[in-house]
Amino acid sequence: MRTVTDKHRQDSWNIEGGGALAVDPHDLREPLVEGTPKPADVTETVSRVVESKPTRLWYATVTVTGALAGWGILTILYTVFTGIGVWGNNQPVGWAWDITNFVFWIGIGHAGTLISAILFLFRQKWRTAINRAAEAMTIFAVICALIFPIIHTGRPWVAVYWLLPLPNQMEMWVNFRSPLLWDVFAVSTYFAVSAMFWFVGLVPDFATLRNRAKNKIARIAFTFFSMGWTGANRHWHRYEKAYLILAGISTPLVLSVHTIVSFDFAVSVIPGWHTTIFPPYFVAGAIFSGFGMVLTLMILARKLLNLEQFITVKHIENMSKVLMATGLMVGYAYGIEFFIAWYSGNPYERFVFINRAFGPYSWAYWTMVSCNVFIPQLFWFRGIRRNLLITWIISIFVNIGMWFERFVIIVTSLHRDFLPSSWGMFTPTWVDVSIFAGTVGLFLTLFLVFAKYLPVLAISEVKGILPGAQPKHGHH
Amino acid sequence: MKKTAGISGIFQDPDRVLAAAAEIRRAGYQRFDFHTPYPLHGLDQAMGIKRTVLPWISLAGGIVGGAVALHLQWWTGAVDYPLVIGGKPFFAFEPSIPITFELTVLLTAIATVVGMFALNGLPKWFSKWQNDPHFRRSMDDAFVVTVDAEDPLYHAEKTRSLLESLGAEQVRTVDYDEE
Amino acid sequence: MAALDSQTYTFTDKGRFGVIALGTGIVFTALTVVGAFTDSHMFFASWLTSFAFWTTIVLGALFFVMLQHVTAAVWSVVTRRAAEALALALPVLLLCFIPLTFGMHDLFHWSHAEEVAADHVLAWKAPYLNTTFFIVRGLVFFAVWIALAFVLHRRSVAQDTDGDVAHTYALRKISAGGIFAFAFTVTFAAFDWLMSLNPHWYSTIFGVYVFVGGFLTCMAVLLLIFQMLRRQGMLEGVVTIEHFHDFGRLLFAFTVFWAYIGGSQYYLIWYANVPEETVWFLARWDNGWKAVSMALIFLHFLVPFLTLLFYRVKRNTVLLRTIASLLVVMHFVDMFWLVMPTFGPGVHFSWMHLTSALGIGGLVMWMFWTRYTAHRAVPASDPKLADSIAHRV
Repeated sequence: MRTVTDKHRQDSWNIEGGGALAVDPHDLREPLVEGTPKPADVTETVSRVVESKPTRLWYATVTVTGALAGWGILTILYTVFTGIGVWGNNQPVGWAWDITNFVFWIGIGHAGTLISAILFLFRQKWRTAINRAAEAMTIFAVICALIFPIIHTGRPWVAVYWLLPLPNQMEMWVNFRSPLLWDVFAVSTYFAVSAMFWFVGLVPDFATLRNRAKNKIARIAFTFFSMGWTGANRHWHRYEKAYLILAGISTPLVLSVHTIVSFDFAVSVIPGWHTTIFPPYFVAGAIFSGFGMVLTLMILARKLLNLEQFITVKHIENMSKVLMATGLMVGYAYGIEFFIAWYSGNPYERFVFINRAFGPYSWAYWTMVSCNVFIPQLFWFRGIRRNLLITWIISIFVNIGMWFERFVIIVTSLHRDFLPSSWGMFTPTWVDVSIFAGTVGLFLTLFLVFAKYLPVLAISEVKGILPGAQPKHGHH
Repeated sequence: MKKTAGISGIFQDPDRVLAAAAEIRRAGYQRFDFHTPYPLHGLDQAMGIKRTVLPWISLAGGIVGGAVALHLQWWTGAVDYPLVIGGKPFFAFEPSIPITFELTVLLTAIATVVGMFALNGLPKWFSKWQNDPHFRRSMDDAFVVTVDAEDPLYHAEKTRSLLESLGAEQVRTVDYDEE
Repeated sequence: MAALDSQTYTFTDKGRFGVIALGTGIVFTALTVVGAFTDSHMFFASWLTSFAFWTTIVLGALFFVMLQHVTAAVWSVVTRRAAEALALALPVLLLCFIPLTFGMHDLFHWSHAEEVAADHVLAWKAPYLNTTFFIVRGLVFFAVWIALAFVLHRRSVAQDTDGDVAHTYALRKISAGGIFAFAFTVTFAAFDWLMSLNPHWYSTIFGVYVFVGGFLTCMAVLLLIFQMLRRQGMLEGVVTIEHFHDFGRLLFAFTVFWAYIGGSQYYLIWYANVPEETVWFLARWDNGWKAVSMALIFLHFLVPFLTLLFYRVKRNTVLLRTIASLLVVMHFVDMFWLVMPTFGPGVHFSWMHLTSALGIGGLVMWMFWTRYTAHRAVPASDPKLADSIAHRV
């Protein structure tokens, strides 16, 4: 096989009259690691982070984010003991800040599954450097998301009967025809499957860490969680099949989750919510926001954890491209929705969209459009895609823009009801703001703890894509 | 009491591993394996590993999940406590799709993960090879071949020389403590 | 029997395919035109069905080329030249667009001034839905697509001779912008030609639905073309089972995506149950249409899904060919399902549906074959070609 390939390669160099190509064909595919690290270097780089003592900077940051998370927990307790009247929700804006945050966090999670599952199926090897952190981010984001609908029930301790089909004294069942219940199943399945996927990926790395652990507690913990992994090829065989199956089912799963979140809105008859583009539009938006967050975190992490060799500018650039592509999809949806609002001839539809762009919340609308559609257009320039500082700033804008997208969808559609007598405005209270800030703190704290105590790169996967890692001959 | 686990040796070159796997298999060994830091492409074929039954376990999990979900929604909604909500039918396929899909995926995932560990005999916090320094390296940077002492063809000298002839380095006999 | 030089990938013999396609195209187009004099209403309806069928397929090819450039895809380089040539059939479809402009009154309810005057919703839409603007838009869409198809093909062919890698980078940039223009033009084309058949009905996802069906079918058509070439002994060892396997994966992915888009469109309308929206699906359920709708669910989605799920099916050329053919037929049924319920109750399949599909198809295939055989069969100097040939799934 090799000889045929080489012959063709030779041919493509010297097509008659054309002369040799100016560049090597592989230049089109920039290497995914810098330098020529050996497998032992990967083990060393990643384990060093886990085995070393936390730095002062780490302690300082965790203190700040932890304090924020603590403040969030206090305000959640205040809400639970007082009642959700302490929030800004009202009639007609019965869904507001909390559902915005719920959709925002769920969306963030999608990039992790996209990177770990969809890019795996598409054989995008650059995913190996970022999938572990992105999957961790998914799990933490889903935890943050789950907080909001649970506390929105007002009495979370009895919510279990409202959300799950458990036999109870009234002999009534949950309403399976309600999109809110679909959400319960979708989000909890998503959490469970993401956690399993993440754990399965971690097992071989736990074994690597176990084998070199010096600290007794670390050794016991890594031994336990490594499940006794031996690295035997007969095990790898089933492991790889399991990974492939998990990737295969996670792909439709991640699409279904935001699709079902979009159903919360789109199966209603509220103008601005009931529109058929919602399912794919929500999915594209989720991936967009998730990649925004991955960029925000990874640009910092590669610097602070000295992972520049493995998370290269090439990775950052690829993510910027995904960000631009999904941003354009979201822009497409904004445009088509606007056109159809006019084309429908339905005065309510038309009103909602004009009101979004020029009504009392127009500032939120234009923040959304600027952050999600206009600003990411800077990524058309290669220089900007490869400039870490500018990319990082744009990613922050994307995070802001996607939060506002959910705010715009929820609040602007509700605050102008069908009857002008039921019009109203929504203003968040300090409790609303505190709880959201608290989830940001929780998310960052969990991520920092993860980045310190667990292997932040998928050690075995990165080793598998190093130059010369795989056999040259035979099947591949 | 000490018992012999078998013989182990180290390879550095992935191509050598593939060639060695094919040779050991040809020599008729059954209970041999390669411990590697990451899965090597083509090693399954070279060792002659049969395709795992895992996909069928996953499929069974998925079918159970889907069936349970449909039955649950139909029985609670249309049989046990029929209640008109929003003018929707007591049971219809359309509103049943999301939960049926989710539970199918959930049970498939659980079956896959549990099935993978069970087929691999994990968790098992003891390995015959765990005292072998090679074993430690196999999760760092080396490909380690192991031939189990319980293999019918196992012979301390012949197996050792076979491995050495295939290019294995630092071939050694490994002991373990039997409780 | 066509033949190909296996070293330079130039066609030494163009074979009879082009002649057969041209003959088919002329004969069946002529037959269809005869039908215009017997039943002009049915002529325009079936012409629109076949026009939509082929245009969406050819647009799928244009998109496939741009997608490859944007993602710097490796595996598919060997298939790119055929897709480029298929996209060059767009001028033929521009010609096929012209007859539709003569049938505005037969096809589009909103083109009747007296109807518009009596209906305030149509009066509201008149600035958009009027015959002049409709034709101008159609011409603009074709201008954009044809320009893209020509630029993409010309640059790619130029690289064959000069081997300059700069073309690869330029094509990537052109495609990135091109996809953006493509998305909007295809969406509005779908709104104009298909959605406005029922001018009161609207769905924001409609453009994506039409595009996805076309792209899926284009993959099926390319798969069938390459199998035909392989059966004639061409591209041996260049387009391999590995590439067919990947086509199988794409068919799988996009039949799922098609079902996802079509399904969620139906789903949201079913659940919200707003009469002005459900009317569209009722027209596709009552009076015998239920069978067609069910056929779409089963044969356009479930059967390909459940078969392509399996590894062995994706590596079996006979099965792949069968499924690809099924998908091509089902795309025609899909277009039939979009167009025909507009024209009264009941499923009316006319002989003109068949002749117009073969007529336009013959002309499209003739154009494709002419353009394809005029240059090398693969992008011979593409820097990724060798890797594409050596591709393993």
